[in-house]
Amino acid sequence: MASMDVSELRKNAKIELDGQPYVVVDFQFVKPGKGQGLYKCKIKNMITGSVLDRTWRSGEKFDPANVESKQMQFLYANGDAYTFMDNQSYEQVELQKEVVGDDKNFLLDQLQVDVLFYNERPVGVSLPSHVVMEVVESEPGVKGDTATNVTKLAKVSTGYEVAVPIFIKVGEKIKIDTRSGAYIERVNQ
Amino acid sequence: MAGLAWADRVAAWDAAVAAVRGCLRARGLCEVTTPVRIEAPAPEPWVEPVAAPPGFLATSPELAMKRMLCRGVPAIFEVAHVLRQAEHGAMHREEFHLVEWYRPGEPIVAVQADVEAMVAAVFDAVAPWRMGPDARPRSWTTIGFFDLLARTTGLALVGDEDDEALARAWASSGLGGVVEPAARDPEVRTLERWTAFFTAVSDAALDPWLTTASAAGQGVHVVDFPAVLAALAEHARDDAGRAVAGRFESHCCGRELCNGYRELRDADEQRRRFATVLAMRAAHGLPALPMPAAFLHDLATLGLPPCCGAALGLDRLLAAALGVATITDATLHLSGA
Repeated sequence: MASMDVSELRKNAKIELDGQPYVVVDFQFVKPGKGQGLYKCKIKNMITGSVLDRTWRSGEKFDPANVESKQMQFLYANGDAYTFMDNQSYEQVELQKEVVGDDKNFLLDQLQVDVLFYNERPVGVSLPSHVVMEVVESEPGVKGDTATNVTKLAKVSTGYEVAVPIFIKVGEKIKIDTRSGAYIERVNQ
Repeated sequence: MAGLAWADRVAAWDAAVAAVRGCLRARGLCEVTTPVRIEAPAPEPWVEPVAAPPGFLATSPELAMKRMLCRGVPAIFEVAHVLRQAEHGAMHREEFHLVEWYRPGEPIVAVQADVEAMVAAVFDAVAPWRMGPDARPRSWTTIGFFDLLARTTGLALVGDEDDEALARAWASSGLGGVVEPAARDPEVRTLERWTAFFTAVSDAALDPWLTTASAAGQGVHVVDFPAVLAALAEHARDDAGRAVAGRFESHCCGRELCNGYRELRDADEQRRRFATVLAMRAAHGLPALPMPAAFLHDLATLGLPPCCGAALGLDRLLAAALGVATITDATLHLSGA
């Protein structure tokens, strides 16, 4: 496999380390004046879900992970297992909750996602950048509160809770950023 | 979170550049321009130029401005557009702006005073568009590199440690991150070891101390760098007799803002240092760079007058003055989709 230079590292890059696939979840480049660049990364083991800190220096090389992605749709959750179906072959795969991680917050029934396979084993999910979800629970906003930055908590259909502006009501649909988990806007339908 | 509106970004950039120009002109400097495409950049261990055959895109206007100084010009400055490959981060972009300036016949403290004046001028100029509190340094102080090193790590170095001596001191310091040089030549190994040590110690000890100083409203000029890291600066001895370089870095607002030199004028010494860097690059498998022949020729034949100069990251200063987290939040350069 072609080796990858550390300067190609980005958030979401998939790399192989000690025979394990990792995805870069956080990435910081620092370079002390006229020193060597440091790539400070948080990397997540795509099989176990464990996260570790690693720092590489400019000029270092490593192998990209042999990761494939397939378009699949989320079917259902059963205990700790999440089941997805291949859109073409109708084949189903099960992912454990450690592998799905916080992405479970955004797994709506029939959501189209990319399931990642490492050496043909399902190891993770790549979500669309945002999802539209219905608010199922939220306190009414306090009348007369017109300050712009006031928020309240709203629960969406997956049980995830997110800070929203006070004008959002139960039954309305909102757009959420799946990477930050933050509210983006109300969706008028 | 919504950042600065684009109309405000443009207004702030315009105000910042006008402030830099106004400040430096008022302090007696003339604006110049230098080529963007050059024959040879100053070779540095970890600065990668963008190739633009048959030359390169400028990583700094330094050599071009020094060639002017060799021809007897007064104090000059440039707001230069420069490129360095593969630098992406909160404080790095591949394409950015350096304010670079030189003062013939003046001491290094004159250049440090310019830094302080320029920081104040830019903070004043962009006040209408500032996103947060005014975090400008309330005062500036000067500290020697080796004093800062001793204070933060307990290491007492004298500046002319060779590869092996520095490796022993590094290993005993408990700092970790010790890396073996790739080259065989002792002089090249010494440069590699000092560069790696500087990287590790900056990250682990010096930068955290400087960030704390920044948070307390203190700007810091770190002076008297180790002699091996002189790059294009003159060698000297500090008050304690340590081998140092006439080189400083100015830090404020949690970032390195500026790097300055009392400029090296000896053409043979400069050629030896460049050759050491080229050998180190070769040992790491980095792309070969040409020796900056025209610059060295001017140094040898015309001579560089005694002078001091510095380069200040304009995008970093603007981001600090605007109170935004990254230079990408301040730049006018749109990238990608």
